[in-house]
Amino acid sequence: MGVDARHTATVYGRSLWAHFRSVVEYPADFWVMATTGIFWQIMSFGFVTILFQNVNAVGGWGYHEMLMLVGFLAVAAGSPALYWDGIWSIADQVADGGMDYRITRPAPVMPQIATLHIGLQGVGEVPLGAAMFVYGWIGAGVGLGQIPVALLLFACAAVIQVAMYTIANSANFWVKGRVPVFGFFLVEMQNEAMRFPLPVFPMAVRVLLTFAIPLAFASFVPVEILNGRASEWWLLGPPLTAALLAALAVWIFRAGLRSYDSAGH
Amino acid sequence: MPILEARSLSKRFRRPDKKSGFNGALKHLVQRKYKNFTAVDSIDLEIDAGESVAYVGPNGAGKSTTVKLLTGILKPSEGTVRVMGRDPHTERIANAHDIGVLFGQRTQLWWDLPVEESLKLLKHMYRVPEAEYRLRIERFDELLGLGEFMPALARTLSLGQRMRADLACALIHAPKMVYLDEPTIGLDISVKDRLRAFLRQLVDDGTTLLLTSHDLADIEEVCDRIVILDEGSIAYDGPISELKARYITTKAVHLILDGPADLDALREKFPEYEWAAGQAASEAVATYETVRSTTAEVLGHLTARLAPRDLSLSEPDIEDVIRRLYAGELAK
Ligand SMILES: Nc1ncnc2c1ncn2[C@@H]1O[C@H](COP(=O)(O)OP(=O)(O)OP(=O)(O)O)[C@@H](O)[C@H]1O
Ligand SMILES: [Mg+2]
Repeated sequence: MGVDARHTATVYGRSLWAHFRSVVEYPADFWVMATTGIFWQIMSFGFVTILFQNVNAVGGWGYHEMLMLVGFLAVAAGSPALYWDGIWSIADQVADGGMDYRITRPAPVMPQIATLHIGLQGVGEVPLGAAMFVYGWIGAGVGLGQIPVALLLFACAAVIQVAMYTIANSANFWVKGRVPVFGFFLVEMQNEAMRFPLPVFPMAVRVLLTFAIPLAFASFVPVEILNGRASEWWLLGPPLTAALLAALAVWIFRAGLRSYDSAGH
Repeated sequence: MPILEARSLSKRFRRPDKKSGFNGALKHLVQRKYKNFTAVDSIDLEIDAGESVAYVGPNGAGKSTTVKLLTGILKPSEGTVRVMGRDPHTERIANAHDIGVLFGQRTQLWWDLPVEESLKLLKHMYRVPEAEYRLRIERFDELLGLGEFMPALARTLSLGQRMRADLACALIHAPKMVYLDEPTIGLDISVKDRLRAFLRQLVDDGTTLLLTSHDLADIEEVCDRIVILDEGSIAYDGPISELKARYITTKAVHLILDGPADLDALREKFPEYEWAAGQAASEAVATYETVRSTTAEVLGHLTARLAPRDLSLSEPDIEDVIRRLYAGELAK
């Protein structure tokens, strides 16, 4: 029996919505988490601003372009917390056999897992990231005509991020243990490396981050396209990468589910 | 046609083959040797619609593993499962509408959401019409007392509340085939009673039930048929009444005597009975085989010769039978 897309969307949407509604009823968690997200973005902004008091350009990029990059990264990498955060519970669900119940329900397992909870730090991170991005956009003098392109690039970046998180966390179907080590590694790497424009890195690293672990298509390449540093051909990159990674994520998750043998109690 | 049919069903798990200690772990890292462990060993099981089957066995016998095979969570290493004609592993979404599952050890409630929200999400997941949903919730509230904790977050529930909520989750779509793996674990007596009455009602209404439990009172009150699993194989399968008829072959007379019971003297005088001490010093227990003498004969015989001040009769309960079966004392 095939997957019923509409039903799947209902299951996904309702579960997410239920979590957002419960936030209103139990607001304490919300403020703690949102503040964490806001604080994190202020740190980011401070980092770029202080950096540019000492240098004029980083890898050939100016202050406002850097803000666009850091803002784009924050939105792309931070927003899945609001709609795909449950994927971080694969490790737990595999370790304690919680996956069992999801398998016995009449809906695909991935959206059930992805909506097990929401990461409220996203509520702080996304708007502040967006603000930084817009501030950089204006400062860098990017035209309003680029808005549709920007939206497309954000959408692709979101898909890329979601797929990457899914793939990294799916490793825990095989690597048993409650800590999503690959997921943490991915986030760490992205935070460290991707807030700089790629030209600051040696060629090998650039190739790695563009084609092997294509994080570049979720922040660096889109911003390069928007501020006119990359040729139009690059515009094909993000949608292609997004489609490819999404397919790969589904495939790996399913393989993981096939190798899942529950827990011994 | 049976509602559930398992043929030569086996499940093997791969276990790391390593010696204990640091050296063993290190060696395993390099060599990566594994050993197969058979948790379920070629079982055949047929359940007809409307049956209520107890699935019992010692710890580690393979009960939960069987439930996971029957519900499609695990892929069999060998053999086949059919539930209403479908393979629950490969046709899991179609199968899901017909089955309900509860693992007493863990919850299916959404941890951060109120109980009511979990039930509503399941309602949509199973496409339960609103009217039916309301009716069932009302009934669950009546029988399980759900109402009091419907608005509570799942993570704040007590074990008993959680189990009742989980039971409602497992049954919200009125499944035809229900698997309950230790639904009374850790519950107090009154909640257990309530749960058993509820399950009996469920069976009387025509639901097919497979129940595992270490509490044999659950089984006697809810089930008609018992399947005993031992080290992955079925050791007994039949009506509970037959199990009793077959293995409960003795009865005992408890006699309260005038003075302290002298067992040696009694054994000498009445060698045809097994003698044992009772709870009080003046109590003696004579066990006899029901095929050899009738209760009337034994009572007549003993009261005439011993003139006890009081007496009572007892027979081993199902718990004794199963204890002896586990211990390998009874022929299979
Ligand atoms: N996922 C697993 N991986 C490896 N071994 C497992 C797994 N699940 C179960 N086992 C092993 O299979 C055997 C049967 O386990 P199972 O959980 O089916 O027993 P059970 O009859 O339900 O026992 P209990 O009464 O303690 O719940 C055990 O020896 C257990 O260690
Ligand atoms: Mg078990």
